[in-house]
Amino acid sequence: MSDAAVAQGRSPGSFWPKWRWLSSEHPLPWLLPASALMIIFGIYPLLYALWLSLHKRNPVTRANVFDPDYNWLKAFGDQRVWDAIGTTFLYTGIALVIQLVLGLLIALLLDSDRKGYGVLRALMTLPLVVPPAVTGMMFLLMLDGSFGVLSRSLYAVGLLSPQYPILANSSTALAGVLLADIWQWTPFMVLIMLAGLRSLPKEPFEAAAIDGATAVQAFFKLTLPMMSKVIAIAVLIRGIDLFRVFDYVKVMTDSGPGTATETLTSYSGRIYFNGDFPYASTLSLITLILVIIASSLFMKIFRVKL
Amino acid sequence: MEQSLPKRILRDITAVVVVAIFMFPLFWWALTSIKPMYAIFNKDEVVVFDFVPTLINYAVVLLGWSRAEIAIESGSTFGVGGTSSYDSRQTIIDSIIVAVGSTGLTIILAVLAAYALSRMRFRGREGFLNWVLGQRFLPPIAIIVPLVGMYKVAGMRDTDNLFLGYIGLIVIHALMNLPIAVLLLKSFFDDVPKDVDEAAMIDGATRWQTFLKVVLPMVRGGVAAAAVLCFIFSWTEFLLSLFLTTIIRTVPVKITTFVTSTGSEWGFISALGTAAILPGFIFILLVQRHLVRGLTLGSLKE
Repeated sequence: MSDAAVAQGRSPGSFWPKWRWLSSEHPLPWLLPASALMIIFGIYPLLYALWLSLHKRNPVTRANVFDPDYNWLKAFGDQRVWDAIGTTFLYTGIALVIQLVLGLLIALLLDSDRKGYGVLRALMTLPLVVPPAVTGMMFLLMLDGSFGVLSRSLYAVGLLSPQYPILANSSTALAGVLLADIWQWTPFMVLIMLAGLRSLPKEPFEAAAIDGATAVQAFFKLTLPMMSKVIAIAVLIRGIDLFRVFDYVKVMTDSGPGTATETLTSYSGRIYFNGDFPYASTLSLITLILVIIASSLFMKIFRVKL
Repeated sequence: MEQSLPKRILRDITAVVVVAIFMFPLFWWALTSIKPMYAIFNKDEVVVFDFVPTLINYAVVLLGWSRAEIAIESGSTFGVGGTSSYDSRQTIIDSIIVAVGSTGLTIILAVLAAYALSRMRFRGREGFLNWVLGQRFLPPIAIIVPLVGMYKVAGMRDTDNLFLGYIGLIVIHALMNLPIAVLLLKSFFDDVPKDVDEAAMIDGATRWQTFLKVVLPMVRGGVAAAAVLCFIFSWTEFLLSLFLTTIIRTVPVKITTFVTSTGSEWGFISALGTAAILPGFIFILLVQRHLVRGLTLGSLKE
């Protein structure tokens, strides 16, 4: 603490009080480069986006005219925005639940010291490094109605009609996109749950076994409660990333068919490409506001801190 | 709890099957990349293995073979004519430059900030950490529109100047990776006792010397882990690279241009895709130990 006080030039008799803070004992020179990057390319664009959202774009002159509530009211009255919000929450919710449950189950399955399990755990991390755009393409290929290996397998076992275009049908398109997300990010959950499982103390489980508890009882009464912090952190990080999903939707369905898979980010991107920058900014700010509300609520309720 | 033999075998089998299911898309993708055209689009059988493997798809995307060369090679007249837009050599070079450049920039900025956050106590420290964390969760889409405007003005978007284009992507990927690197490196610095710094400074080293000569070498492993994660995230990034440049095409952006309304060239797509996945595989196996810590921003340690 006294270092900071000295460094801020408050020490009496300091010869050059104004310059002391540049000495390497002061945090500023250390933090300045990173701060500069985050201000110029993070804070400034964010304020600029806010400024844009308060302006109305004249499509003819392309001038932005100050009109603070125009875009926001437009967004509230825009059914596509509400649909996109609904789709985004649906997507996030389904993906989160499936990834968490699958992740936990697979982690329990792979949590063994026996030979070969290390290799299995390493293999399980591979999907994480595939570029999401490439993942989208992989599933596009596998879900193709006429020659996709997944579609044809589902047809072969009688679950699907022949030539059924999973991604081109509005009732199944979202499930197709979700499949790609689940494939890529369940390993994220597996990895974190494994780390959590491995950090658990052994004694309570031994005591429970002596008391005759079944494996299922031990899981619900011991494993889950002790893992709650780990689970909360994983859900928080994954949830925020899910909420801003863009790559899979863009690559696999481009929000279609119609607007069946349109999320907030993809709608915002579409508006951007149409040239209405202020409205696109407004929608992306809505995404940000929803992320902030949802994540702070989550952090409050589950008392997690990253 | 020791499991009985049948139970153990059952578990082994389940584990292998589950992992195999997750590996299947990768396997199918790699398999597609060595298939000739007819085998990809086979509609009669679900899974076809009776084809002659070919490396032609790789020759097109990685060596820049044209369709005419393919036709001569295979003795057919299929697809003769038309220049190849599937030549991805420049794309791979672009991706490497951007990923390496942004990783370097991120690590330099992050190491400095992380050291200060770990070692110095000052007002606003918590606030700064929260700012970094907030930056990690800021949806890129929220700042993309102004960024495009800024990049146009700065001549970094629709420019003929490749250098400016690279700088633009390098800087924005560095911004994207900075929070992960800062928080991860801070957690590694926190592992080094402060006594180490104090001992060095008592011996007369300045703060800078202590950092550079004493503490930084002690967190080499952490720096390597952070660098690998930054490289992977830059290599796989799609949205920012799509919006912020028109002259540089990174691999994820380029690959999506292969999908056309008249039909997709899945052989070429999967060849480039497979080539794009491999560096990540090698790197992630190198940092297995620190992966959880990196993905949870230093809040969980393995």
